[in-house]
Amino acid sequence: MSSSTTRAEKGKKTVLERKRARFGLLWALPTAILFIIFMVVPTINVFRMSLFKWSGFSDDATFVGLSNFKTLAGDMNFVHACQNTILLLVVVTSITMPIAIIFAAILTQDRIIGSGFLRFVMYVPSILSAVVIAAIFSAIYDQKDGLLNGTLGFLGLGALQRVWLGDQKIVIYSVAFAMVWQSFGYYMVMYMSSMAGVDRSLYEAASIDGAGKVRQLFSITIPMIWQNIRTTLTFFIISSVNLSFVLVTAMTNGGPDGASQTILGYMYQQAYTNSTYGYGMAIGVVIFLFSFILSLLVSQVTKREIVQQL
Amino acid sequence: MKNIALAKKIIAVVGAGAMMASMAACGSTNSSSDGKVTLKFAAFEGGYGVQMYKDVVKEYEKLNPNVTIKLQTSKKIADEITPGMKAGNYPDIIELGQGTESGLTETMLKDKAVENVTDVLDMKVPGESKTVREKLVDGIIGLYTNPYGDDNTYLMPMYYSPSGLVYNQKLLKDNGWEVPTTWDEFFKLGDEAKAKGISLFTYPTSGYFDAFFNALLADIGGTDFYNDVMTYKKDVWKSKDAKEALTLVQKLVTKYLNPDTVGYANGQDFTKNQQSVLDGKSLFMPNGTWIVNEMKDAPRTDGFEWGFAPVPTTKEGGTRYINTTIEAVWIPSKAKNKEEAKKFMAFLYSDKAADIFNKTGAVQPIKGMTDKVDSSMKVFYDAYNQENVKAVAGSFSTTASVEGKNIKDDLYTAVDSVASGKKNLSDWQNALNETSNALNAASGN
Repeated sequence: MSSSTTRAEKGKKTVLERKRARFGLLWALPTAILFIIFMVVPTINVFRMSLFKWSGFSDDATFVGLSNFKTLAGDMNFVHACQNTILLLVVVTSITMPIAIIFAAILTQDRIIGSGFLRFVMYVPSILSAVVIAAIFSAIYDQKDGLLNGTLGFLGLGALQRVWLGDQKIVIYSVAFAMVWQSFGYYMVMYMSSMAGVDRSLYEAASIDGAGKVRQLFSITIPMIWQNIRTTLTFFIISSVNLSFVLVTAMTNGGPDGASQTILGYMYQQAYTNSTYGYGMAIGVVIFLFSFILSLLVSQVTKREIVQQL
Repeated sequence: MKNIALAKKIIAVVGAGAMMASMAACGSTNSSSDGKVTLKFAAFEGGYGVQMYKDVVKEYEKLNPNVTIKLQTSKKIADEITPGMKAGNYPDIIELGQGTESGLTETMLKDKAVENVTDVLDMKVPGESKTVREKLVDGIIGLYTNPYGDDNTYLMPMYYSPSGLVYNQKLLKDNGWEVPTTWDEFFKLGDEAKAKGISLFTYPTSGYFDAFFNALLADIGGTDFYNDVMTYKKDVWKSKDAKEALTLVQKLVTKYLNPDTVGYANGQDFTKNQQSVLDGKSLFMPNGTWIVNEMKDAPRTDGFEWGFAPVPTTKEGGTRYINTTIEAVWIPSKAKNKEEAKKFMAFLYSDKAADIFNKTGAVQPIKGMTDKVDSSMKVFYDAYNQENVKAVAGSFSTTASVEGKNIKDDLYTAVDSVASGKKNLSDWQNALNETSNALNAASGN
């Protein structure tokens, strides 16, 4: 910042500065080119192709204007996939975030025995691949000898046993639980690291003033790491859109009969399986705008005055 | 697994760049002046692998020293040869069936760009005394090979494999049950089995209903009706025949289905449904020849023996159908060496070639071939020899696609909802009719 003001004051750059700028630009170039080729151009292409009717294979793509979007508005399968995705976002976010914060707060306490081990155990799911998670939950949710139904039966709660992945009303919540299990450890570790940065003396002062642990959490910890929570929340919502697709594809492939289909899964199905690539891209545009607006909303709603640690 | 096709498709798109490179490599070939001929043979690399093609080519070159065959094989052969074909560079002979993801064979047929190969049928197989027609099994030259519905053959049938109802022979024998030939017997057996705590039916995933519906539709309404359904004739799903098929399947999956089926009918757990047949908990499931290999390591009841039956018929003494996947070999009209290609085509039906193909499990529709197939596969092919059993081949026409409408979802995937009671018969029928009509409008029939 300061150097640019000096530059503005001087009105012209020195030879050395100009050389440095050129040098910097040169080194940024490869990344910039890669970014343009692999990020910007495909994104523009998604928008462009959403206006075409194209099978994805032949060489004749017909321009159809906004027709794909009109069809989309009346496509109940799409609406259903949207509902599922939003449900997953709301349910998973509202469970994962509080759990992650609470566990992080507990584990950063000094007197927890084996906190390192617990942290490790909870973090492990986030480095597993979706296929492994799907296999694990297939064993947990198995309707006959699965861990869940088995435990319920053992506890004499046989009435609560369900066909977790086969019941069209339940399957989406089964997926949601797997997502929570997968992601909360990662965010917990993120919060732990920022909580570790909070000055201990604040807690000492608070406890002298008579504030309990819960009070400390809400009045000190959360305000102090609010910036981190904001960032991770946005990040979490966007990655959940992706994770839900990967996990659903591996666990149920959208089944039974589309009951757990997500918006990305539906896009994939339309673009490839159904040979309506343009339509798939129209769904892609909707997802893009949806994620974009959602992140914007989240970041606006969660805007707070930043508490500075002195 | 069926989902692999999906993955393949995306790989095909991603691999577009690599394709261009390989296309450049096969740009230059032709017959030269000294009587030497170079044939370009493009073959789809299916589950049987590529070695058998290499061996057959070697045999033919040995027999015809003046012919050199340039073999090109790929799992996505249609995508690899299409750009060249658009540039006028055609393979002389292509091995690729209908119903693949690319739909190349269908597109070529639609464009009338496939060579009439009826004369190949009456050609003597090189090195042998019989004609191709004499060697082929009866009834194989039909709607699949003569796609325009006349006497002219355009697609030569290469390999075929049956899919229908798979069961445990031992379990039926022990209980004194016969394989049901009619739906009445089928349901009656279901009631008897239920009394013993065995379910009549299960399915791995709803996608396996493709073969089941093909056979059922052909039985109820005949092959003309079957073709109407597959080519989206207007309001075909409103017909009495269509309703009968849906009603039967609805009854089957709501009353006779193994109750665990839907919960396992996904890519992760589908083998558990197949396992229920091996465990003697379900009697029948729709499946094909691959099941033997797929479940070869799975535990099973003592004396378990694979059995295979056609889908039952609705009429006493009616024809039972076996859904048959046929792969085809054909010559593009614009190929340069059509006459030489036809000779090679005839050679593909020689005993030598047939043995090479059979070794890797690719069974050709040649008389006596079913006796030579591997013993584990024999039971599947023997089903064709039963009385009143016919083959039905094909799939939904791929000439058109409509945004947000997928007939396979509406017919097969919907079975999950029908089984769970979420979808009733009229909803099922209406959704199908709507999609079918939309596809009809899009394909401009």
